[in-house]
Amino acid sequence: MASTASEPLPLAGADAARPAPRWLLAASALAALLFATPLAYLVVHGLAEGGGLTATWASSRTLVPLARSLGLGAAVAAAAALLGTTLAWLVVRTDLPGRRTAGLLLPLPLVMPSFIAAFALLAAFAPGGLLARLLVPLGVERLPTVDGFWGAFYVLTLFTYPYVYLPVAARLGQLPAALEESARLLGRGPAGAFRSVVLPQTAGAVWAGALLVFLYTISDFGAVQLLRFHTLTSSIYAARVFDRATALAQSLLLGALAVAVVAVERSVAGRRPARLAHGSRPLRIALGRWKAPAAILVAGVLALALLAPVGVLAFWALRGTLAGSTRAAALVADAGSLAVPALNTAAMAALAAVLAVVAVLPVAYLTARHRSRLAAGANAVIVGGFALPGLVVALALTFWTLQAPGPVGVLYQTQALLVFAYVVHFGSQALRAGQVAVAAIPGRLEDAARTLGAGRLRRLLTVELPLALPGLLAGAGLVLLSTMKELPATLLLAPPGFETLATKIWNATEDAFLADASLAALLLLLLSGVLTWLLVVRRGDAPE
Amino acid sequence: MTRKTAALPLVFALLLALALAGCSRSRDALTIYSGRAQNLVGPLLERFNQDTGIAIDVKYGDSAELALLIDEEGDRSPADVFFSQSPGATGFLAGKARLAQLDGRLLDKVDQRFRNRDGRWVGVSGRQRVLVYNTELVQQRELPDSVLDLTDARWAGKVAIAPANGSFQDFVTAMRQLEGDGATAAWLQAMARNRPRTYANNNAIVEAVGRGEVPVGLVNHYYNYRFLKENPGTPSRNHAFAGADAGALVIPATVSVLAGSDKSEQAARFVEFLLSPEAQRYFSDETFEYPLASGVPAAAGLPPLDTLRSPPSDLDQLGGGLQRTIELIRSSGFDGV
Repeated sequence: MASTASEPLPLAGADAARPAPRWLLAASALAALLFATPLAYLVVHGLAEGGGLTATWASSRTLVPLARSLGLGAAVAAAAALLGTTLAWLVVRTDLPGRRTAGLLLPLPLVMPSFIAAFALLAAFAPGGLLARLLVPLGVERLPTVDGFWGAFYVLTLFTYPYVYLPVAARLGQLPAALEESARLLGRGPAGAFRSVVLPQTAGAVWAGALLVFLYTISDFGAVQLLRFHTLTSSIYAARVFDRATALAQSLLLGALAVAVVAVERSVAGRRPARLAHGSRPLRIALGRWKAPAAILVAGVLALALLAPVGVLAFWALRGTLAGSTRAAALVADAGSLAVPALNTAAMAALAAVLAVVAVLPVAYLTARHRSRLAAGANAVIVGGFALPGLVVALALTFWTLQAPGPVGVLYQTQALLVFAYVVHFGSQALRAGQVAVAAIPGRLEDAARTLGAGRLRRLLTVELPLALPGLLAGAGLVLLSTMKELPATLLLAPPGFETLATKIWNATEDAFLADASLAALLLLLLSGVLTWLLVVRRGDAPE
Repeated sequence: MTRKTAALPLVFALLLALALAGCSRSRDALTIYSGRAQNLVGPLLERFNQDTGIAIDVKYGDSAELALLIDEEGDRSPADVFFSQSPGATGFLAGKARLAQLDGRLLDKVDQRFRNRDGRWVGVSGRQRVLVYNTELVQQRELPDSVLDLTDARWAGKVAIAPANGSFQDFVTAMRQLEGDGATAAWLQAMARNRPRTYANNNAIVEAVGRGEVPVGLVNHYYNYRFLKENPGTPSRNHAFAGADAGALVIPATVSVLAGSDKSEQAARFVEFLLSPEAQRYFSDETFEYPLASGVPAAAGLPPLDTLRSPPSDLDQLGGGLQRTIELIRSSGFDGV
């Protein structure tokens, strides 16, 4: 059991003194250019729509919802960081009962499209809802209304903690047991070992995940709209058609905000010691008398984030299926018609996940290994793409594709452009996970390989990528789950007639075909469970 | 590398091939951008294909967002037809000169209250604005005849509205034309003071009324029919305001042909199909909407169309005047508009 933890590690900085290789700079610049398309569209259009950018920004119509977005984003990010980290530690590092099942189920709330999940949660928990009716015999008269800030906080925390859970679980799976064992030998309790060893080693992954949660929250529209908490995205949505100057200015502000937050986060991250340790066998800590409370926590989260919405959806689907339908093309009568949309969903998501990792890897490498302005810029535009509403990403790519000279226009409304949209929109998820993964590669290993005369490419393939793989897979998993439920860009950019499960759900939800919508949503959940297992859980387990 | 690792790229390539094969797009097909969802109109559009042999490619989406997309696509838009849920979105495109003039023969099939003066769009089916109520919380006889009465103190905190939703905004535009901007602003402000509960859309309101979270809500009539289909036990019913009231507005779904379409002949046949007795009966029977082309009666249980408040004078104002409507709603103190 080789552990490199007991000695100081000359880490991520190993290459910092050396200038970045040219191919790396070129690849990063290309990635930055592609990822900058939505922001560039906003700048071009924002300026074209005439002045008033700053006036719109300074008006209370922008500032009040902006403050709400920021407050909600910060609160949800903090709560999701706490919840995601705790859950990851319990599943990966302890003898939690049922931890393999929990490991498969815990990432899944991420795949619930918020417009149907929030609708289902309301139907479950709101006054007069399903739970309230179950509780009437117990003397519970009325449940509190789920809405406003706390409603949005509760729902978004439950649906976004996987952004923290996945990267932290990946990182924890690589932590050598020796670190904690020595801490324990030195007389620290489990809590002490957690504080002094586990937390510092996972901080990068926690930060990366919390940042994604923050960006997701400020860009979310479906959940805040249903829960009646009016954020900046509500304002953009309301203005999108008849007050485009306002919608563009506010979207630009959202993007700029994301870039600023990333800059702050990077400077904080830059001060963190990048001493990351590796080992082959993670420690399993016996929870002892904490076993029951820990199991209750995990079960409680799964009950609220997964079982409750799934229960409501299953109830609707069953009710509709039993009632049957004479309507042509009713899903409840012909669930087989979901096969092609399911296949499309899986294919698009898998492609987007792999391509996103490939596209951001140069930037992840550059930011983690070299100090470079280009790296900081590329990092910012990639992350900015996540904070923009899907509608903006779709319109931007429409604009650039059709404006571009030559044959680029033929890509319009093809699967290729759709996958590109997913990569641009969600690439930041792969990037953050990728940065953590690359930072975790001990530079000494690489130095050793270099000394032994291994070429650059060979070092990358044989030394670095295998070590970074769990982190990269976690990033791919995030992109995968996000893509599967993506709606606004899919509706606008998919070729006519190209259906995914998300568009099926939307088409049914739009006019309250609840049973049809539920069937498609349940299939989406099942499919993402299978793909998560194939691509993330099973492969992540491989080193054990 | 293990065997199972090597299998992954294979699976990946297979998925890619399947996804690409699953979508063979025909360049000859009539491209329809439909703001009406697939569950509602999908079977009808397929029938058009079967009846006429004209191949169709349909892109479903939110009417307002499809209108934005068409505008962004400009001259290179693949769309031939825009089938819109909302006159506001159609008016937006008409204002941008993106819509072609329809044949007078087609326009004449529909009463002039439900078609564009300049022939840029024609109404296909109508949805009436109603007050949906929970029968366990209010009696029908307590419900007001006019939407104007909802500002009464006894409705304080009891009315659900969706101020950011297109159909609420269409209704406010109609009210501006009927009652004038001053009276409409006064009503909106009085409503805002009466602490209405605001929701995301019609679905959310009908669902909340069904649960009893709020006793009444302003919505389009057909959503409650949908919820009753899903669960016949739901205690929610529609209440129609008196015929001439602004609250009883009938909002048409519209169809238009794009100015840049190179398939205007097939597009005109599609419009003609939507106005045919077969299609009009579909709206009446399957979606509980008012058929707008002459000759097909409304579904049983609905009041006759000619007793209802149709959009006054000129429906186009619903589109062109929408920005002003949104400003009025916003300045009256509604959040999230």
